Amino acid sequence: MKRALIWLLFALGGIGVGAYSALAMSGLLPGDRRTGGPIEINGWHGDFAMGSEDASPYFRARIARHGLLALANTEAVYFTRLLDDSGQPFSEDCTYRLSGGAMPADWWSVTLYNSDNFLPDNSDNALSFDASRAGHGAGDGAGDGAWSAIISPNKPAAETGWISSKAGGTFDLTFRLYVPGDGVLDRPEDLIEAPSVERLSCTGEAQ
Amino acid sequence: MKRLIGPLALSVILGIASHFAILNYAPSVIMDRAYTMLGERGTAVHAFNLAPRMTPQTQSVVRPSPDLAYSACRFDLSEAPNGVRVKMGSYDGYSSLSFFDAQTNNFRTIRGNGEARETRLLPANSAGNGAENGADVTRAPSQKGIILIRRLAPSDAEYAKVAEASAGDLCEAI
Repeated sequence: MKRALIWLLFALGGIGVGAYSALAMSGLLPGDRRTGGPIEINGWHGDFAMGSEDASPYFRARIARHGLLALANTEAVYFTRLLDDSGQPFSEDCTYRLSGGAMPADWWSVTLYNSDNFLPDNSDNALSFDASRAGHGAGDGAGDGAWSAIISPNKPAAETGWISSKAGGTFDLTFRLYVPGDGVLDRPEDLIEAPSVERLSCTGEAQ
Repeated sequence: MKRLIGPLALSVILGIASHFAILNYAPSVIMDRAYTMLGERGTAVHAFNLAPRMTPQTQSVVRPSPDLAYSACRFDLSEAPNGVRVKMGSYDGYSSLSFFDAQTNNFRTIRGNGEARETRLLPANSAGNGAENGADVTRAPSQKGIILIRRLAPSDAEYAKVAEASAGDLCEAI
C-alpha cells in the first residue's frame, strides 16, 4: 500500500511540474503579460513568427492566448510594450505623449489594451491612433511625417490626437504595421522608428 | 534510495509528457473555444458575418483593432467535402482575406488591393488540384478553422462603406 502511494505521489508530482512549467514558459499562467520576442525596437517587442507555422510551440501557445488570429508577417507585424520610456509600467493614472514619424508600411496603428488583452471598458471611442489620423492633422502631423498623440484617462483640452486610457488599469500598447515595406522583415531595427512614449504626469499613487 | 529510482523515472517521464502535451494542445483548445464562441455570437458555419464596429462592448476575440472591420466565417470541411467557395467583395481601403487552421496558423492571406478576390478552400488531402476553370485554390491543413476579412475602417463613415462592400462577401459549401 505504502509502495503504491509513493508511485502515485511521484506520478502526480511529475505531471504537476510538467504542466506548470509548460504553462509558465508559454505565458499561459493567469496574470502573465509577457509579450517578449527577439526583436526589440525602442522598448517595443515583437516576434515575426507570429501566425506562422515556424513559431516555436511556446510562442504559438502564448499567441493563441494573447493574439489569436494574428496575421503572418508578410501581411502585418506586431509589437507590444508594457513600459514607458522611463521604464515604468503604463498606468491609467498617468498622462503620456506618444510620438513618432513616418512608418515603412501601408498603414499603422497604436492601440491600448487592458491586462486581459481586451479594449478597456470605456465609451470614449478613442482607443487607438492610426496613420489616417496622423496624416489628416488630427495629431500634430508635420511635413516630415512627425506626429504625436496624448494617452490619458480624460480628453486633453488641446486639439490633438488622443488615446483614452480610462478603465485601462495597468495597460499595454500594441503597434501594428500592415503591409510592411521592403526590407522591414530583414532589418526591422534599421527601418522602423518605433514610437516613443514619454510620461508627462501622474496622479494618485502613480505619482 | 534505490527503491525511489523507479518512481523518480516515472515522474520525469510523466513530467516531460505532460509538458509537451499542454504545449501541443493549448493552441487547438484555445482555437476551438474561439470557433465555438464565434458561433454563439452569430457567425454560422460557411457564412460570413460582419461584426459591429469594434468597441469594448462588441469585442469577442483578444486584441481586436478598433480601426478594422472584421467579417468572419467558420469553415468545417467535414460538412463540405467538395470544398468551400470564399469570396471577398471589393473595397477601396486596405482589405485582406486570411485563413486560420485549428492550430492557429495563418496558412494563407490574400490581399484585396481594391479588387474582389475569390478562392476555393479544399482539404489538404483532396484529390486533384481543384483549379478547374482557372479558379484559385487554397489548401486547408485542418478540417475546421476560421476565415477572416479585415477592412480598414477607422470611422463610422468608413464602416458604412465596409457594410456595403461586405454584401459582396461569400462563404458557402460547394
